[in-house]
Amino acid sequence: MYVNKVNTHILPIEFEYHAPKSLDETVELLEKYGEDAHVLAGGTDLLPHMKQRRVEPKHIVNIKGIPELACIKEIPEGIHIGALAKLRAIELSPLINEKLPLLSEAARSVGSIQIRNLGTIGGNICNASPSADMATPLMAVDAKVHVYSKSGEKNYPIVEFFHGRGEVRLEQGELVTGFTVPHLPEGAGSAFEKIGWTTLDIATVNVAAVVSLKDGKIDHCSIALGACSPAPIRGVLAEEILRGREPSAEAMDEAVELIATCVEPRERWRRAPPEYRQRTSKALARDAVTRAVEAARR
Amino acid sequence: MSSKPAFKVLGKDTPRQDGVAKVTGREIFASDMAFPNMLYGRILKSPYAHAKVKSMDVSKAEAMGAVTLTPGEIPDIKYCPRLVSVPSSTYKDWKVLAEKGHYVGEPIGAVAAESEEEAQRALESIEVDYEVLGASFDAFDSMKLGADLIHEQIYLEDDLIDVKNNIGCQLEITEGDPASLEAADYVIERTYRTNRRYHNQLETKSVLVRPEPDGGVSIWSTTQTIHNTRLLIHDIYGIPMGKIRVYKVALGGSFGSSIHVNPPVTVAVGLALKSRRPVKLCYTREEDIRDHCAYQIIFKLKLGAFKDGTLAGGQMEAYLDIGAHQIQAYPLLGCVVGWWVSLYRLPYKEYVGKAVYTNKVPCCAFRGYGNPQTTWVVETMMDELAGMIGVDPLDFRLKNFIGEGELFWGQGPTVKSIIRSCGVEEILTKGAEMVDWYNRLKPEEQTGRYRKGWGVGRGFHTSSAGAPVPSSIIDFGGAMLKMNEDGTFDYVSALMDHGCGTQDAHAKIIAEELCVPVDKVNIIRADTGTTVYDVCTHASRGVYSGGGAALKVAGKVKEQIREFAGRILDAYPHAVRIRYDEARGQAVVYAEGIEGREVTYRDVAETARQKNWGTAASVESYRQPSCPPHFTGYFVDVEVDTWTGKVKLLRVVAGADIGTVINPKLAAGQVHGGFAQGWGMTVLEDTPYDPESGDLMNGGSVANYKVPTTCDLLDLEDLTVFFADTYEPTGPFGAKGLGEGALNPVAGAIANAIQSALGVRFFQLPITPIRILEALKEKEG
Repeated sequence: MYVNKVNTHILPIEFEYHAPKSLDETVELLEKYGEDAHVLAGGTDLLPHMKQRRVEPKHIVNIKGIPELACIKEIPEGIHIGALAKLRAIELSPLINEKLPLLSEAARSVGSIQIRNLGTIGGNICNASPSADMATPLMAVDAKVHVYSKSGEKNYPIVEFFHGRGEVRLEQGELVTGFTVPHLPEGAGSAFEKIGWTTLDIATVNVAAVVSLKDGKIDHCSIALGACSPAPIRGVLAEEILRGREPSAEAMDEAVELIATCVEPRERWRRAPPEYRQRTSKALARDAVTRAVEAARR
Repeated sequence: MSSKPAFKVLGKDTPRQDGVAKVTGREIFASDMAFPNMLYGRILKSPYAHAKVKSMDVSKAEAMGAVTLTPGEIPDIKYCPRLVSVPSSTYKDWKVLAEKGHYVGEPIGAVAAESEEEAQRALESIEVDYEVLGASFDAFDSMKLGADLIHEQIYLEDDLIDVKNNIGCQLEITEGDPASLEAADYVIERTYRTNRRYHNQLETKSVLVRPEPDGGVSIWSTTQTIHNTRLLIHDIYGIPMGKIRVYKVALGGSFGSSIHVNPPVTVAVGLALKSRRPVKLCYTREEDIRDHCAYQIIFKLKLGAFKDGTLAGGQMEAYLDIGAHQIQAYPLLGCVVGWWVSLYRLPYKEYVGKAVYTNKVPCCAFRGYGNPQTTWVVETMMDELAGMIGVDPLDFRLKNFIGEGELFWGQGPTVKSIIRSCGVEEILTKGAEMVDWYNRLKPEEQTGRYRKGWGVGRGFHTSSAGAPVPSSIIDFGGAMLKMNEDGTFDYVSALMDHGCGTQDAHAKIIAEELCVPVDKVNIIRADTGTTVYDVCTHASRGVYSGGGAALKVAGKVKEQIREFAGRILDAYPHAVRIRYDEARGQAVVYAEGIEGREVTYRDVAETARQKNWGTAASVESYRQPSCPPHFTGYFVDVEVDTWTGKVKLLRVVAGADIGTVINPKLAAGQVHGGFAQGWGMTVLEDTPYDPESGDLMNGGSVANYKVPTTCDLLDLEDLTVFFADTYEPTGPFGAKGLGEGALNPVAGAIANAIQSALGVRFFQLPITPIRILEALKEKEG
């Protein structure tokens, strides 16, 4: 029956619309309606999903009326990005471009300008897609996720946020309010690499890398990979083998072999067979680390 | 070389009359229209690839207030939605609402309600009991003995015929001496498989139908032919033609997908007649992608050549995987052989074409109508054959191409004419010079991650399906032109503009003939009641045929202007001359050498009005005398990333022989667009099926059907377009077509470039990064 049901134009389901003005009001609604409620941020994922009937929420909680959630600011611990920050704002923010170019580079790779003008970083993360273009860089920079609920605010490393299979760590009545990115090591370079079938496509594989050098050797190294496992992952083994070594071709060869062992692409993902994702995750990891090293040298 | 006259209007860039409306979003398309009291229609689709509808319960939908339509409420008529061929060549297997779903997405019922949302809810409430049948998703499976018949009986004209082995129709042609091929020094035989591309035209198929008090209907729809729309609605619903008014409305893209009358039109007419209210029905993108696609063809090709580099002959088998219905499969069987044998001289040619039913979305014409597929195959093999003989692939083409003075039957065996203008040599030699072809990099010279390669491909398309004698294809048009009292002109024609600026080309042809600037010629949007018949905008006939009709009426109006002016000036009509006077903003008719003996168009028209002489006007039908090919050639430079399989475009040089160039920037735009579409065809696009669900693997989502955007192409400074210096003596002011030729050789050129970079040849489209990595692994480990 789904051919008669699923489309991206008509929204025949009925729902109640809420536009809370505060965080407390929001989490109260989320607590009250539980799984029947869906948060509306940019809407670039939620609305198509509703039209495609992948979700049929009875309550829509539009959080756009809480402007403080859209902030991008420097704080003592690093940089804070509100969950409602538009991808286009992250792409163009002078602060992000200077301090976290990895994030602006990744934001620029998402869809079209029209999509980025609507889509938010919080939505990109909470949608829990393994190919989310903001997830990989946030993992590579060890970002913390801030979650608000009736019992107050808590935060934890983003690596703990993704459960895989399209699920994230959010309990009933909880709302992601933003992300804090700690200061990167002095002189760190970064790079984001992505392969999709076209410029506007979602990632078949994406990789984010952050590298700092000490006496010509790799000091800090983080590599995150998306769309090649059920959730975005860190290439921990590859990071370890690169630390303390010169970024030589041999070191890279060893590192990317380890990348290939840690990714777990699924056979049923129709976009590309596992072997393709495995091979390109190696290529993209190599490109990302190489470019991050070049940036660190500058 | 050409003997082009000096033109005043043609060959110069002029803005389109609909340009401002389109770039400001003020253009009205069928999907923008609304009438008071209008209902919204939705079509119930078969969720199975092959299933009989045993019963359908619409009571819940009706209880919700919706108007419903079931198969039994529509006249029981089998038809073909494309009315371009003569009846004896037209196979009919369609019904407005089918009692059996032959593919996932086939219309089996419909509803109309006060809003699209209500209509959707009503649609979802319909209960259907199906009997699921065996389905086939591959042409060769369909032809197997014992396979379920998708159609048991179909009509050819009015004769009921039995379908055997799911073969809808077939064509065999043999010409020449088989001994020639047998004597060949080199022979290659291969199987090629093309992709099943979705047109992805911007506007999804849409219609608005208003029932009229006299029992008739007015229709605004996505179409390439208003007159054939009227013919089909007349055939199905029996409404007298004069009571069916099909209005021209801006077309938001088609690429051949609306040559036939679209299912939303036939269904919405039924809903409007039953509800007695206007009904609007717009396909969602997910419905549109399950409505049409390009003809997928599996080719077996054998070509032979002699040591001296001339071709000895060839054999082709073409299996068309046409999907669940015939739209224009039979004429395509003729065109495929036409496309093949009109590229290069073959002393012997043997052809078998079969159109095979599968339980997939029905194929229809898609820019090039089988020519991009055929040319990819031929151009791929020409390269391979050249390598075998040891001649440069460009020289091999130059030695064998069919050109001026030779017989041409691009539109198939019933449409033959002699080529009178040909720019192939100019395109190939000039292009080769521009890219330094003979010093290009070879695959064996490259190792490492990134590898580069140049490829060449050439081709043609017909401009119309005209010929000196009648054929199985109907091809004529017509136009009306009248002079207004201020010296401007109104041009009226049934010919649809796909968005290519075709009607603007007509206006320029009229302006050139009447010695006025193009802004003096207004393009009037009309309907079936106010225009003479035009078959359809297809076959790249818009400029050549439609422009021919425009020139014919412009010539007649000019005669009348001369006649009127002759009376006013007391001069002989055939002796007066016409010039344009910038200062007066008027064309002036004058008797040469006699001072004061002149009169403006405005005064001619005004005098004719006051003296009751009448309006200078003309209505004519026009049949073009020939079917001239327009030729194109592409030189493409690519770089392949052997780690990711991604192919990047570095440089493209394109040459086109379109006779007289009417609007250079629009013509170059056609080439850019043709290249973009060819790029998508070669490296990206396909609609494979999931045999379990019987539905498209992409689930109907364009998010999973990628086409290139401008960001995926190359900068315009790296895409050079040049036009050959030619003049088509049978065309309006020497003009030919371009739309389809701009696409046809692209896949061949890109595929040859990829081969030249990697040393690997591909026999299946698209050549995706996944396939490239697989092939490289096989070659290099």
